[in-house]
Amino acid sequence: MIRVVPILFGALFTAATAWSLGMLLFRRLALVFHAWEERLLAYIVGSACLSGIMFVLCATRLARRGPLLFLGLAIIGYAVYSGALRSSGKRFPPLPKLWLWVFVAAFAAFSYLGFFNALAPEHSTDGMGYHLGEVLKYRQAHGFVRITTDIYASLSQGIELLYLFAFDFGRHSAASVLHFTFLVALAFLILSYGQRIGRDAVGVGAALFTFASPIVLLDASIAYLDVALAAVVFALFYLLQVWDENRDPKMLIPIGLLAGFAYEVKYTAFVAVPYAIGFVAWKLWRQQKPVLRPALVVSILAAACILPWMVKDWIEVANPVSPLANSVFPNPYVHISFEKTWRADLARYDLASRWQIPLQVTVQGDHVEGFLGPLFLLTPLALLALRFREGRQLLLAAAIFVCTYFSNIGTRFLIPVVPFVALALALAVYNIRWLLITLVVAHAITCWPRIYNLYCAPGAYRIDEVPVRAALGRIPEDVYLSQDPQYAVARMLEATVPVNEPIFAVSQGGQAYLPRNLLIGYQSASNEVLQDILWTPVVRAYQPTRIFRFDFAPRELRKLRVVQMASLPENQWSIAELRVFSGPMEITRDAAWRLTARPNPWDVQLAFDNSPVTRWRTWQPAAPGMYMEVDFGQLRSVSGVVVESSDDSGDIKMKLEGMGADGKWATLTDRPVQSRQPIRASLRLAATAELKARGIHYVLIKPDNPGGNDYRRYPAVWGLTVAGSMGDARLFHIK
Amino acid sequence: MSGVLCLTACDRLPESYAPPEQRHPVAGVNPGPDAMMVDMSDPDASLHIVKDIYGQADPSWRWTAQNPTVQLLVLATENLKFSADFGIWDDGFKTTGPVEIAYLVNGRVLDKVRYPTPGVKHFEKPVPADWLSVDADTMIGMSVDKLYVAPRDGVKFGVILLRMGFKQ
Repeated sequence: MIRVVPILFGALFTAATAWSLGMLLFRRLALVFHAWEERLLAYIVGSACLSGIMFVLCATRLARRGPLLFLGLAIIGYAVYSGALRSSGKRFPPLPKLWLWVFVAAFAAFSYLGFFNALAPEHSTDGMGYHLGEVLKYRQAHGFVRITTDIYASLSQGIELLYLFAFDFGRHSAASVLHFTFLVALAFLILSYGQRIGRDAVGVGAALFTFASPIVLLDASIAYLDVALAAVVFALFYLLQVWDENRDPKMLIPIGLLAGFAYEVKYTAFVAVPYAIGFVAWKLWRQQKPVLRPALVVSILAAACILPWMVKDWIEVANPVSPLANSVFPNPYVHISFEKTWRADLARYDLASRWQIPLQVTVQGDHVEGFLGPLFLLTPLALLALRFREGRQLLLAAAIFVCTYFSNIGTRFLIPVVPFVALALALAVYNIRWLLITLVVAHAITCWPRIYNLYCAPGAYRIDEVPVRAALGRIPEDVYLSQDPQYAVARMLEATVPVNEPIFAVSQGGQAYLPRNLLIGYQSASNEVLQDILWTPVVRAYQPTRIFRFDFAPRELRKLRVVQMASLPENQWSIAELRVFSGPMEITRDAAWRLTARPNPWDVQLAFDNSPVTRWRTWQPAAPGMYMEVDFGQLRSVSGVVVESSDDSGDIKMKLEGMGADGKWATLTDRPVQSRQPIRASLRLAATAELKARGIHYVLIKPDNPGGNDYRRYPAVWGLTVAGSMGDARLFHIK
Repeated sequence: MSGVLCLTACDRLPESYAPPEQRHPVAGVNPGPDAMMVDMSDPDASLHIVKDIYGQADPSWRWTAQNPTVQLLVLATENLKFSADFGIWDDGFKTTGPVEIAYLVNGRVLDKVRYPTPGVKHFEKPVPADWLSVDADTMIGMSVDKLYVAPRDGVKFGVILLRMGFKQ
């Protein structure tokens, strides 16, 4: 039980601080709500405020336990002292007994499932991977650290900063319990909305539709953030509806904050900003009232939440919306090719057709990481709610927030839309009371693990058990977590690798339990280069076997450039080495030379380092006009250039241009002689030597990694020794 | 917001560089003369066995079946010789008579040798460089034309393998 105390303290202390902040803000603004909705909305709005405060503390490296404890106690204390926590709003009429008991029974049963899973040691893939992985790094540094080797560190982290607050007191599970509080708040907020529109049954039904949904409950019980986002988005909707009734201009302040906070929680929720601004502007314009000032208030407050994250990314990785839009903001930290592949993967997962999505997200769940429950097969029925004004508002919000879904078709990306669909569905059948209660009961039954295990796909991401003993600490945390291979490998790495030694791995999670710098192959441009180096010895298409020789009459040149002329959507252009000749002799590379390339100038040195395992790549499809340039800094007599490339460059077409004393570019030749250069000696040692030169002394290899068996079979040829192992994973040390 | 976006669009990272420190070709490891040899006495020999080599009955040799094959990595492709040390069992020879063994590299027959007597044998022959690659495993094996069949359990035996691989 001792385990539970810091976890609950961390989560509830964070929640209480956020709630107090929200109540203080509402009192200050003198906003009028009903009693319960005020408390719930205050929690969500206060979370936005606390997240903003945490941003400042992280930016100033003051995110330490002492200041956080003082801050929380001061906020809560002041809220109590000032009477801000006493709600002055009217109460909603009590729920009809039938609906009250239906709600209490179902809420209690599913809370049991969700709460104990949240309280159990956190071991979700992304939770213990990057959500809490970044939190751990910030905690160690007491604030932000510049991370250029992990794309996830560049995403907005509004909720992660709240997790950081909770983590400082209760570690990993405090974050998941905190996330669970957002689900509780969301369920009651939906219930309140039903009461606000005078349809208690709709509120109860929709709250349970949402709360019991398997993916929603699962997501809320781990350190993800989709349910928190759903709560933020629904609270924004709620506030807009209240503002539409009372037109209190001060209401636009929390509206603007939540619109911006939605982006802070997740990039895909950026649509909250145009939604909020558009809603306010449209309503005012229809009544022929001034639009500009209210729209500006919402915009400025939203921007105040969003801009700090953009500036942070701009400073750290030269792209305000990293890891997206790298074509617009080219930078050395994320490759354009990675972004393209990543987005394509997320938009497709491994589905054969998008027609599989409806069944996948509702009942199967194995390809899209979870399912909502079969009730949501009835989503088209929600259109019947269009006959009500509230229904139109709900469906409009659903349509707006679902529009980014196809950028990532995982089921949890539908969670922010679930409250709107649930309410619209309940509203659609509201007049047929027996039908609504039948749907609620059927949903509750079909969302219980023993039942959904009968119909969902075997590999569906779902809650399988209620780990009460692990949650209460009766099973030691390390024992419970060691069942997870990612965690077990992370512990092996921690035990083997000295502090401050980076580890390269093609794939591995569990960073939240690993206080080491783990460089994952796909997670940054520099990591991808390391991966390219390691794969070159075992992937023939990567090796510098293609030789393009440009010969021409000796010329005095100041600069020369190799220009690529073909459009190859499926190939990248790469140059392993570019050598310049005067007669038969290669001109020794001079420190006064200046080298550049378009695109990806930052890796140009890889084509001039005399290493067969490094290469400059475009990291985007080869296109006409791409070039690599050498500036000799003075006139040099040149008569030939050799470009060493590889088979994966495809059908590239190159020409050579030179600039003489006249300062004008002229084509020297566009007919290189092609030949092949067989690789006669193993490149393995050169590859690991290259990693070592870059400060990497440890490499984690798993059997399914490309070349995985090669490392295990011939470690001596790679210059590796086995430093540790866990299951099939091997940690190699570069000698 | 648009102002910040415009500012961020301005390049601020260096875009031209001097040539870096020159790497010197790594000559490769010098793991000794047996680096490309699979010795049946090696405890890791099983990692190299592809097929038709039975489990270890003795610390230094293993029985084979008809097509004993191993995979290994060549460190360089030139001046390599296929090398094998094995034995033809006297008692088995009484049943099979002379045997012919084909030596294969990546499925291509390097040579065929007829052995008219039992006893310890050694085979060695240069391998064309273009049959080999340094970036992937090379499969080498033997194909024995006649097998000794144990009368008690019907198990088939080819030769007694000591080692097989490449020598420079």
